[in-house]
This record gives sequence, structure tokens and C-alpha cells, in this order.
Amino acid sequence: MSAADAPGPVLAPPPAGERSAGAPLLEVDGLRVTLVARGRQVHAVDGLSYRVAAGQTVAIIGESGSGKTVSSRAVMGLLPPSARVEGHVRFAGVDLVGLPERELRRRRAVDLAIVLQDPARSLDPTMRIGPQITEAIRAHLPLSRRAARERAIELLGRVRIPEPRRRYDDYPHQLSGGMRQRVVIAAALSCNPKLLIADEATTALDVTTQAQIMHLLVELQAELGMALVLISHDLGLAATYTDEVVVMYAGRTMEHAPTRELFHNVRSPYTKALLGAIPRLDRPPHDRLPVVQGRPPDLTRRMQGCPFHLRCPSAAERCAAERPPEVVDPPGHRFACFFPHGEGNLP
Amino acid sequence: MIASGAVASGAAGPVDAGPGALRALRALARSATARVVAIRLLSAVPVLWGVSFLTFILLNLLPGDAASSILGLNATPQELAALRAKLGLNEPFFTRYGHWLGGVLSGHLGASLISGQSVSSILSQRIPVTLELIGYAFVLSVAFAVPVAVLSARRPRGIFDRISIWLSMLGLATPNFVLAIVLILVLSVHLNLLPPIGYTSPSADLAGNLKFLLMPAISIAFGLFCAYNRLLRADIVEQLQREDYVVFARAKGIAPRRVLVRHATRNSLFGLITIVAVNAGTLIGATVIIEQIFALPGIGQELISAISQKDVPLVEGIVVVFAVVVVLANLVADLLYAVLDPRIRYGGRGA
Amino acid sequence: MAAGAPELAVPVAARERAVRRHRRVPLELVLPGGFLVVLTAACFLWPLVRSMPGPINGNFIPDLPALSPGHLFGTDPIGNDVFARILYGGRVSLEVGLGVSFLGTVVGGAIGAYAAFKGGIVQAVIMRVLDVFLAFPALVIALVVADNLGKNELDVIWAISFFSIPANARIARAATLRQINQPFMVAARLGGARDGWMLARHVAPNIGPQLLTFSLLGVPVVILIEAALDFLSLGVPPPNPSWGNMISTGYQYLSSDPALVIIPGAFLLVTVMCFNLVGDALRARWDLQ
Repeated sequence: MSAADAPGPVLAPPPAGERSAGAPLLEVDGLRVTLVARGRQVHAVDGLSYRVAAGQTVAIIGESGSGKTVSSRAVMGLLPPSARVEGHVRFAGVDLVGLPERELRRRRAVDLAIVLQDPARSLDPTMRIGPQITEAIRAHLPLSRRAARERAIELLGRVRIPEPRRRYDDYPHQLSGGMRQRVVIAAALSCNPKLLIADEATTALDVTTQAQIMHLLVELQAELGMALVLISHDLGLAATYTDEVVVMYAGRTMEHAPTRELFHNVRSPYTKALLGAIPRLDRPPHDRLPVVQGRPPDLTRRMQGCPFHLRCPSAAERCAAERPPEVVDPPGHRFACFFPHGEGNLP
Repeated sequence: MIASGAVASGAAGPVDAGPGALRALRALARSATARVVAIRLLSAVPVLWGVSFLTFILLNLLPGDAASSILGLNATPQELAALRAKLGLNEPFFTRYGHWLGGVLSGHLGASLISGQSVSSILSQRIPVTLELIGYAFVLSVAFAVPVAVLSARRPRGIFDRISIWLSMLGLATPNFVLAIVLILVLSVHLNLLPPIGYTSPSADLAGNLKFLLMPAISIAFGLFCAYNRLLRADIVEQLQREDYVVFARAKGIAPRRVLVRHATRNSLFGLITIVAVNAGTLIGATVIIEQIFALPGIGQELISAISQKDVPLVEGIVVVFAVVVVLANLVADLLYAVLDPRIRYGGRGA
Repeated sequence: MAAGAPELAVPVAARERAVRRHRRVPLELVLPGGFLVVLTAACFLWPLVRSMPGPINGNFIPDLPALSPGHLFGTDPIGNDVFARILYGGRVSLEVGLGVSFLGTVVGGAIGAYAAFKGGIVQAVIMRVLDVFLAFPALVIALVVADNLGKNELDVIWAISFFSIPANARIARAATLRQINQPFMVAARLGGARDGWMLARHVAPNIGPQLLTFSLLGVPVVILIEAALDFLSLGVPPPNPSWGNMISTGYQYLSSDPALVIIPGAFLLVTVMCFNLVGDALRARWDLQ
């Protein structure tokens, strides 16, 4: 919806015509991002592809440093100018990579929006929360100051902030972490975006608040028919809320499948290791929680083989020398591993 | 602030003014700001005492005294002894210091040993000139530093930024007295635009006063401008690159100018305000040399001559006033910060 | 995304640092550093290698313009060779600048480290005394001491040290406090190490780099203060040359021969700038605040 169109009611689903299923809303295709750090290149994202349709939820899962956050900022066009972005990010058919900043700016909040990890840091401490929402509204929608204010108050109510009219004039530090994240969500949704990226949106919150925020996101998604990209390190979260999961490691896609298929039929040893690291009630108490041993590799060097081979329980010589190709088996389940059944270290 | 709110509520109900005032007082005592101010002022007392005592020691170590300054080299020992007795210079060190300190505590800074004029009247004549000069320099430096820093930070390492960085390096290395001389050479000697030397009081002729003070103010302001520019620019760039709220502001699709000015710069200004206020105190000494060059009747000239003439009460008066200004400037810096930063202004969580 | 934000933030901020490290440093460290080395060599060695006209004899034709044969920067109204005066004056600036910084680092560093180390009453008293010195306007104390001690270079060094020492002591105290809470310090203390050993062996090497950078950044400030004292006739007394008093005497001939101010002024400016650049580059390199 372009800025010239009538803004429509606050947080209404788009007309049915725009929601035609099938055609993906966002199509990330062979995304590569190279950052410059301390004079060296970091291959932060090395070939990421996924699609999201309206109303769908895709999770991108990985440890810190796996490139998931960088990839989300690349989609939003928020990386610093020094970053090199290759591949395609098609939104409703238009490739965003290489679009001038002006064009990207017009699309942010209207087409794509993002919620960042730390609500304490994503709000400007020197600005009241209301104006932080209205500034987005006024940048995109032809609303008067008063109308924008009313819309912001309505949005605050929609994200379940009690007494939104009074809270409008609060400063961020006067709110709790969960409340702040609600404000951030309200600001992100201020212009009815068609796609929301939640970049570890619940990680910085305590467990109860996490669940509340996740419910809120899912609820809003259903109401608005938004596409949702959930960036997380938490496979459990992905299992509960998503249609499709992409597992990333060291900038590469390790495994990519519909959620049910993935959890029933784990192929990548990395995904397996991640699953093993989740605490479960059926484990004996005081048992050691298996963790993924070692650290992610140095991304300043381009790896020849599989990035996980140093930590992989079933790695063989081949894994260090050769990059495993992407295998599709069964249809829709893609993974990159020579030994999906763990037979690599057998003699 | 909490205290002022309580005062307002007390004033609103004139009927029970008594309890209202009491409540206001109690609120004031409870108010964090008032407590901070009180603690800071109290902790400044020993520092101020130390400053005065140290000055007394230093002046006592100086060869010669006020009597020999007044009578000159040709004075006879008898004359010197008589004058010393008259000025009380023969008393033991601690008696003299105690005498001075007692005077100060009862509100008298004493009289100049040389001219006999009271120290407070000398200070009240001279200090305003120095303060005006400093204020002028501050206004100039901040007025230029903020826009230049913002424009530099807009495109780090761009042309404008590079020029501004080098200008700042140059300015930080330029001694203010050399700049003063160059200004006189160019603006007065060659272009004949500004009067090199002289002073009129602002109450008599404000335009003339500002004109006379322009070159001295620039001489001080240029270095300050460069320091502030560098500081602010670095801080804005840091905000732009590191802070999540900048990323989020950009993600909301608002104009880059607004991200730069309303978000990054606004947050960077706190640091600048603190530095500006802290500088204000230390700068009062640095004006000495500029006042000398432009023959301004400020406190600096008085200080130099008072030191060389061993005019102990006058030096003490000036130094203590300097120290008080330093202490107050630091306090003002903290308070300004508190007033401007909502995180401090509205303490506590409302959730 | 525990490390998500930093992970993103690092490349951006690091880029500036990276640029500073890999492109700027060679030029911005080598160029000013080179100038300072050349200047120091010229000031201290040139008069030994080549015969120089004395800086205070006044036995040349007065008022020669710059680039006159035998007189690179010309002569002053008394008939002294300006080039020779610049070199001898440079000695004063460098000696005072480095001398004060050295005193500040060693004495101030020791006081600050000791205060932090002892803690309690000792620290409180030392810090109060330092506050007194720091509340003194910098130039005032220098004026008092310079006027008091008489006028030669060594006294100027003492005079300026009066406030470089407290400033260094503060930095050293803060740095030491940070060190003391490090696990290896606690371990050493538990291991029965004596105070002197702890200070010399554990504290000093760890706060050293910070203090050195701080005092290196202080050198240009000291040089400027020294020049200001000279300018006010409270430092090195004429006829002995220093850049400050050359500017002061040149000021009297401003309209007839501005070069007498401009030449020493330019040397002062460039030297101070080079110290600033070297200090900045080193600070960026060591990532010290």
C-alpha cells in the first residue's frame, strides 16, 4: 500500500485480493552478505533462500553469529553501506537488493517491518513513546498530527497496553521490558506492514513475558494476515509457532523444511545437536545437558568443507575438504550433509 | 521535579499554607536532586578551604612581600618594618591565615594590601568582564560546533567531515594567544575592521562592547569549537552506528535527517552539555592571557599583578572565586544533565 | 540472539577502526611522528653537527627578511639568527613537555596507584588533596609557582607539574581500581603477595599503557601552557629563546615584521598538532579511552 492511498482502519487485514495464497510475499534467493570487520571480510551470510507467503510463519534458527540477524537486516536494507549484499530479496515481485535508499525507506513500515531483540535499546530514551509511533505514521500516511496521535493510541491499545492514552506520554524507561516490547511492536505495525520480522523479539525478556509477547505476535499476525519471519536461537519456539524452519550455521543453510517434517525427520547433525541441547522433562534430573561442543568457525576465512565438521559427531575427512551439496529428500526437505544418518565416522 | 511539584501544590492551597509549606520542605528534603545538591555543596567546603590554604602557603613561600612591592628596592629597613607592622605581615603564618579565614567566614574578603580597596569591590568590577568574555566564547563555540558536527556526522569520511576533522586538529593545536595575534594582524592591522584594544561596558554601549570583545571571544572560542565539534561528531557517529534505536528509527522508514537530528544528535547533546559546563570553570584561568593581549579590564590582569605584588588578600579572593566557579560549574553540569535527561527527570518506573 | 546486536554492531564500528588501523595509521602516525623525530634531532643535534650562530649574541645585521643568505628565517631586530633561536627554543618546548609528562606519569601514577591500593582513609585523604589541586585553575597555580620559583626551565617544569601530577594520579587511581578487582589480583593477594610486589609486578604493568597514552596526550597541552607562561614573561626569561617568548617579543614588532610571530607560532602549532596526531593514533591503536 503506497503512502498516497487512504490509510484505512487501524490494523485491518488487507483486502482479500491481495491475500491470494500461493504467490510468496517475500522471496529471499541466494542471499550473501559480506561485512567488513577490522579490515577483514566476514562472510556473514553465505547463500540463504526462503519464501514466505501472507499469513505464513517461517523461522530462521541458529546460534549467535550464524548470520540470522545479518540476513534480517539485509532484507530490511538496514546494513551499513560497507556491507556487500548479493542475491535477491524480492518483495511482491520487486527485488529490494540494489534499490536506492529512498525507495527502501518508502517500503519500510508500510511493506516490511522489524522488531529488534532488546526493547530497552530499540526505543529512543529521550523521546516519549507516543511520538516514536507517530513519527513512523506521519512519515508514511497522510494523517494530521491529531489523527496520527489517535491512531498511535489505538495501536497501543491493540498491543494490550493498559491506559494507552495515559501511557502515550511516558518515556521508555518508565515502562517494563515487556511493555517496551509492546510499544516497539506497535511502532512496527503502525503502517499495517505486510511482513513482520521478529528478530529475537522475545530473547531479552523473562519467560512469562516471552510467552505473552509471542501470543500477541501470533494473534496480530492472524488478525492482519501478515507474513511473519521469526528469527531465533530457540528450536522450541519454532516448533510451536511456525510453518517452515530454516536452520543456519556460520552463514550457511544447514537444513530447511516444513516444521512438522523437520522435527519428525531431522537430517542435519547440526539440527540434531541443537535439539539435544533443549532441556526436557523426560530426562533424568541432574543429568548433564548435552551441549554443542566447540565454537562456531571464523567467518573471515572462506571454508572449503562443511562449516560444522569440527564440531560434528559424525564428520569424516570428506566433510573438511568438500562443501556438501544441497540434497532434497523427501521433496520439500532440503539439507546440506554427506552423512544425514550419522554414518560418517564409521570406519 | 518532585520538589517544585510539592511547592506548587502548597501554593495552590493558600488556606492551609502552613502544612503546605511544611510538606514542601519535607518533599524537598526527600527529593533526590536537593540531596545531591546539598551533598555536593558540602563536599566542596573542604576543597575550597584547601584551595585557600594552599594559596596562602604558596604566597608565603614567595620571596618578598607586599611591603617590599609597595616601597620598592630603595626602601630602608626601618620603612619596611614599619609598613610590615602596619599591614600585619609580621604576625606568624597561622595567625595571618586565621585572621583572613575569620574575615571570610564573617563575609569579608578583606582589602587589597596595595591599593587598600576592598577585595569584593575589585572582584565585582573585574569578574563580570571575564564572565562576559567566557559566555561570549561559549555561545560562539557551541553555536558553530553543533551544526558543523551534525553535518560532519551525516556522511562520516565525506568531504565536509574531512575538512572539519582537519580544521579541528588545527584548532586544537593553535595556542589562543597566537590566534589572538593573528586576528589582530589580519582584522585590525591589515583590514582595519575591528579595534585591536579597548573596552566599553555593555550597559554603556552594548554594540560597542560586543565589538570590542569579538576578537578576544573568537580567540578563546576557536579552540573550544574544535574540541566540541570533534567530541560531538564522534558521539553522533557512534550513536548512528551502534545504537539499536537508530536502527529501529531507520526501520520505521523515517527520513534520515530526522534520524540524525532528532534521535542521534539529541542523545549526543547530553555529553556535550556536561563538557561545556565543566569547561566553564577551568576556562576562567585561561582567559588571563587573552585579557592581557587585548587589555581587557578582567580578573586575569588583576591576578597577574596581585601575584607579582604579593597582594595576599586579593590573590586569595580571586583564587577562591575561581574555585567556587569550578565547583558550581560542575554542579550545574550535573543538574543540567538531570533536567534534560528524561531518565533522570522522571525517576523510577511507572509500570 | 545473545550476541546479535554486537555481532551486527562490530563490523560497522570496526570499519572506522579498521580504516584508522590500516589506512590512516601509516600516514597519520608516520608523518607527524617523523616530523617530531626530525624536529628533536634538529633541535638537539644540529648545533653539534653544524656550526650555528648563537641564539643570543645579537651580532648580525638586524631585521633581515627570511631566506636571506646564511639566515634561513632571517634575523630579529636585535640581530639574532631566528633559525638558531627556533632550534634552541624548540629544546625548551620539548624538554618541558616531556619532562612534565614524565614527572606526571611517574609521581602521579605512583600516588594514584598507591591511593587505590590502600583504599580507606588514605585514599580519601589523597583524593581530597588532589581535588584541591584540580579545583585550582590550571594557569593560576602555574603563575604562582612560576613567579615564586624564579625563572628558569627546571622551575617551569615544576610549576606545570603541579597540575599534571594530580590529573595523572586520578587516571592511575581509576585504572588501578579496575585492576584490583580482577581475579588474578585477588589470587595474588590470597597467595600472600606483599603490597610492594603487587604494585610493582601486577599493577604497574597493567596500568602502564593507559598512563603512557594519557601523558602522551598531555604533552601538547604542557607545551602550550609553557608557551603561554613564556608569553606572559613568567617562564624562560629573554634573551634565552623559547617559542613563547619569541612570540611575545615579536608581538611588539607585529605591524613591521609579522614573521617574528608567525614563524615561532607555526612551529608551536605544528609541533602540538603532531603530538596530538601521534597521541590519537596510538590511543586508537591501543583502544584506550
